[in-house]
Amino acid sequence: MTMPAPATRPRLRPDGCRYYGIVQGARGVSADPQVMFSTVLGSCVAACLYDAEAKLGGINHFLLAEPQPGQQIDAQAAQRYGIHAMELLINEMLAKGARRARLRAHLYGGANLHSGMHAIGSDNAAFAVRFLADEGIPLVLRDLGGRSARRVDFQPALGRSRSRIVTDTLADAPPPRRIPVPVAAASAGDLDLF
Amino acid sequence: MTRPLVMTVDDSPSMRALLRHALTAEGYVVAEAEDGVDALDRLDAAAPDLVITDINMPRMDGFGLIEAMRGDAKWRALPILVLSTEFSDEKKQRARAAGATGWIVKPFDPAKLTAAIRRVLV
Repeated sequence: MTMPAPATRPRLRPDGCRYYGIVQGARGVSADPQVMFSTVLGSCVAACLYDAEAKLGGINHFLLAEPQPGQQIDAQAAQRYGIHAMELLINEMLAKGARRARLRAHLYGGANLHSGMHAIGSDNAAFAVRFLADEGIPLVLRDLGGRSARRVDFQPALGRSRSRIVTDTLADAPPPRRIPVPVAAASAGDLDLF
Repeated sequence: MTRPLVMTVDDSPSMRALLRHALTAEGYVVAEAEDGVDALDRLDAAAPDLVITDINMPRMDGFGLIEAMRGDAKWRALPILVLSTEFSDEKKQRARAAGATGWIVKPFDPAKLTAAIRRVLV
């Protein structure tokens, strides 16, 4: 199993599963049936991808953009980041034996937690649905939108996922601290001329 | 004046669309291929001035494409840029040995990408 930073140390549960937390910007890929990925989503989206033949699954947790009040989203930049986040997950799965044509997807998150703000969650969810359609990856399960945070658990080797509402009072909570969107590498976009 | 033609090679339709948007906005003509095999099939008809290729692709990856192009006298001197999520020195050295002109790590910035294209097209 690989777990690009930032990631959490696993928690061992009574059922023998090792739970790995997937924070924003992270991803996890595994074929180990004792591994469970877990993440908490507000306006972010998590894509769970699964190849039933390879018995391999992966999850990410991404946010296209989180503008300050009154700030405009750079739609092109946001889309570039979203595609990048999905491509990293797909490439890692393909490198471990998955086949693109066999991938199936579950999508979670995309809630609009704060009334009066730009519907960031809707933007994230719409991007993820559109991306899967463009890539020809069937979306077989979705739990998107709403106004509440979700906890998502994903058992990658079995392709099983579930979500549950964390609390229904978050919609009235103050906006969260802004978290910078990570990039792949400090040199991203620069030309390395040979 | 003829506009330069850029062939983009990527198995992701979303990435090809993103590149198409960025390149046509800067006045380039774009031809597309979905992997190395597809690119080799289309090279003669497209006659590109530059190829931008991903690395991780089915059937034939970016390394295979570069090696095949450099083995053909017609494409031996054509600029080839790699645009990939990969950024390890080992992969870059492999691309360099195969004959790539340069390497850009995704996610790309449109201004940096077009600056890189101008640099290798001179």
